[in-house]
Formats: sequence, C-alpha cells, structure tokens
Amino acid sequence: MAIQPPHVEDTSAMPAGGINAPQTSVIPKLRTRDLNFYYGSFQALHNIGIDIASRKITAFIGPSGCGKSTFLRTMNRMNETVRGTRYDGQILLDGEDIRKMDVTGVRRRVGMVFQKSNPFPKTIFENVAYGLRINGAKKATIAETVQRSLERAALWTEIKDKLHKPASALSGGQQQRLCIARALAVEPEVLLLDEPCSALDPVATLKIEELLFQIKETTTIVIVTHNMQQAARLADHTGFFLMGKLIEFNDTRAIFQNPKKKETEDYVTGRFG
Amino acid sequence: MSRMNMEISLRRRVTNIVMLSITGLFTLLTITILFCILGYLLYHGIGSLSWSFFTNLPKPTGEAGGGMANAIVGSGKILLIATVLGVPVGFLAGVYLSEYSGRTFAFVVRYVTDLLNGVPSIVIGIFAYAMVVKPMHRFSTLAGGIALGIMMIPIAVRTTEEFLRAVPNSLREASLALGATKATTIFTVVAPAAIQGLVSGMMLNLARVAGETAPLLFTALGNMFWSRGWSQPSASLPVMIYQYAISPYEDYHQQAWAAGFVLLALVLSINVTARLVISGRGATARR
Repeated sequence: MAIQPPHVEDTSAMPAGGINAPQTSVIPKLRTRDLNFYYGSFQALHNIGIDIASRKITAFIGPSGCGKSTFLRTMNRMNETVRGTRYDGQILLDGEDIRKMDVTGVRRRVGMVFQKSNPFPKTIFENVAYGLRINGAKKATIAETVQRSLERAALWTEIKDKLHKPASALSGGQQQRLCIARALAVEPEVLLLDEPCSALDPVATLKIEELLFQIKETTTIVIVTHNMQQAARLADHTGFFLMGKLIEFNDTRAIFQNPKKKETEDYVTGRFG
Repeated sequence: MSRMNMEISLRRRVTNIVMLSITGLFTLLTITILFCILGYLLYHGIGSLSWSFFTNLPKPTGEAGGGMANAIVGSGKILLIATVLGVPVGFLAGVYLSEYSGRTFAFVVRYVTDLLNGVPSIVIGIFAYAMVVKPMHRFSTLAGGIALGIMMIPIAVRTTEEFLRAVPNSLREASLALGATKATTIFTVVAPAAIQGLVSGMMLNLARVAGETAPLLFTALGNMFWSRGWSQPSASLPVMIYQYAISPYEDYHQQAWAAGFVLLALVLSINVTARLVISGRGATARR
C-alpha cells in the first residue's frame, strides 16, 4: 500500500462524540471510548471512539482487513468467543458498560446478522422461534411473534405456506432474510449486520435494504459493508476504517461528498491504493 | 512420437495394468473373506437355526430342540447396560473436548483415549472383575455390561468430538448472538445438527462390542438357564459360542455355528442401519 498509516489525534482528548461525530442532537445508543482490540499480539483496533445514534443506520466502510468487522463484533461481545483475543477501553450501551453486563443479556439486546446466512438445520418456524424459546417466551405468544418477525423481514408472504419446511430449502436471499427475522424475533434494541448482502444478487440486496429502512423506525442499525453505494443509499452516518483506525465518521453525505480526510477521499472516489 | 517416448508410454501402461490387477485382486479378497465367513456360518448353522433356537433354553446334549433364548436376552441386557454407561460418558467427554477444552488438554485426552481404546479387551475384563465382581462376590449381567461399557467409551468420545467439530462455527455464533448460553447452544443447536452422525457412530460402537467375548468370560460368566437378575450371572451369545465350540459334542457344535450366524447377522444389521442413518444425514445436508 502506498499510503502511510494515517495520523489520528488521541480520541480521549476529544469531546464526547469522538472524531468528527455527526452533528445530531439524538442521544447515542452505543458509544465506545479508547477501544483497543488485539488478536494475540496483533492490534486490530486503535483507540476507537464513536457515538452511534439511536434509531439511525450507521455504516462502516473500508478495505478488507481494516477492522470494521472486528469492531462490529466487539459491540455484542462476539469476539470473546474467539480464542486469544482481548480488548480494553469502554463500550457503552445506553451509557452502561457492556463488559459489566451479563453477556447473554448484551447479545439479546444487540442482535447480529452475519455475512453468510447461517440458518439452523431446523424448520423455518423453529429458526425464528429459537431465540424466543431460549429466552423463555410463553408458548402462546411464540407463533404470533414468529409471524410478526417474518413480516418485518418481508418474508412472510413468500413462506407462510411452508413454515415447517427446512430452512435450507430457501434461496440464499430468503435465508438471509430469515436470519434477520430470527434476530428481530427477540426484539433487539440494536441490530448489527456484517456485510449481510455480500453473497446476494442485486434484487435480494434491494429487498434487504428496503427492510432495513423499515426496521430503523424501532431499531438502531449498524452495518458493515464493502459496497460504498450501499452505504451511500442506506446510512445516515458513515464511518471509514483504515488499518484498525476510525479515520473519519460523519453524516453519510459529508463522507461521500465532502470528506475531511485525504484517506477517506481517496477511498470513496476509488483512488485508494 | 519418438521411440523412447513410446517405450515409456508402454511401460507406464503395463505398470498401470499390473497395479490395477494387484490392488483389485486384494480388494476382492477382502470382500470375499466376509462372504466366506457368512456362507460358512450359514452352511453349518442353518440346520440348528429354527424358531426354537430363539425361544428355547439350552438342552442337555442329545436332546433335540435346544435353543439360546437366554443368551440372546442376556446379550441384549449386557449391551443395554454397556450403552447406558458408555454412551453418556463418552458423549459428554466428547462435548467437553470439542466445545470447551484448550488445544493442549484436548490433545492429551485424545491420546489417552486412544490408549484406552488399545487396551486388550481381556484386560478390560480383568478390570471389571476387580472393580465389580470382587466387591459384589458374584459374576453378574451388570459386571459384563460395565466391562463392555468401558470398551465403548473411547470410540464414543472420539465419535462425538469429530461429529461436533464438523458442525460449522457459524451455527454456534448464530445461537450465541441470540443470547443463548454456551450450554444451550451445544445442546439445542450443535448436538442436534450432528445427531445423525452421533447416533450412527454410537450404533457402530455398539456393534463393535456386541461380539466381544473376552471381557465377559469372568464378568457375566455364562449361564445355561435364565439369568435370575441383573446381579446374577448371565448367558451371552459370544460366551455361549465359546463354551459350545470347545465342548466335545457334535450337536453343541451345530448350535455354536447357528449362534455365530445370529450374532454376525445382528452386528451386520446394526452396521447397515448405522450406514443408512449416515447417508440420510448426507442427503439433508446437501439439500
């Protein structure tokens, strides 16, 4: 790579909101302070400080290996399942440090959809019902919630006649929407999506983007994407990651039309690398 | 093509044909052995193989119509105890190895398990004799079952570990991301995803110990009558075959052949069922 590691001011010295925080008056749902993350001796994230606005779509863009997925996975403590990882700094959900909370509680409140759809080898219905069952939902309410979740994921009309068929019978795009429905069923406050459309065709991608717009009314959405057009279409705020650092974070329009950092400009205009 | 190239090509073709013939021949030999055993047992045992073989008790030599009902039931009881002991122990240890333990510890346990698997079955029998028969002061169905159960453990551990490891990590993550605990994830997602492999693995394991004789000789001992309980000596097919085969009586020899055939048929049918279960799993995974 031709460019040098960018210089970023120590975020701890900055006012709440971190680097170039979007100028919004909304209370942040999630915020991180001085977040450093390590895979063994490799430091994957450097001093990330960010405020993620409630009920908005926040997108993270950046080249492969820049740490955006790692960052996403710290926010529901998913990285803790990977051996040899550690982190320091703070991750606050509604102002409360998620490390001090029960991990299952954090993950129930902060749902996640993965890059590759990963339905359980169970029926469509059982996939969506799973999160409800393990969280002790009342039997009577399960069917209703399953239907509502599938409706929110814009999947209900397509599959309402085959609820008890195996999930593996669905197409790739349907499987990913099923995974979104499954995550929505437990009514998370935040939904993290890790490149949810990278394996999907444009039509399936469009469907998922449309449903994210609707979910946004009730849920804070954080999406990692390789696709800059997707970030530009979807996101209220966009953050640009490079080599483990959050280079710039701002309103999406500002990131794409008037980036303040040269690295951001190079990346969004395709001159990167 | 030059002359040299033609020679090389000819030599290659000849080598190929020779190798194909040799490997094919030995493959054929391997298959033939099984069918020879089956055919031989059937040929010798078929005369004594009748309904009464399955329903009657053994009769003194010279009397017609003796059977091995007690040995068939005895084997069933012993294998039941073995399964109840060996499967849960092996399964839970396998879960630990696959899902919880660190790499080094798992390596050590795997190695120890392989060693246990290599312990001669007669030694396992002696162990069960010392641990169960001696304190209870009698041979018993229970002692036989425990001996075979111990023999099942290593394979159960390895089978469980391998099939659980084959479950993609993305399924674990999906479950954890919904707020499930690790234990819930293992028992409601990971194990069910591997269930067909686990079931068939356990069946193969059972089939493997079903024919074991040595561990039963001084644990379950043997019995010419119905066993009077779980803590009493019991007949079993392998031991019955052994006792009848070393007897000097021709009609007992015939019965031993028949018992051998029944035992082999039992083991083979468990095997085939297990394979069917596995292939069923393959079909659902591909869909």
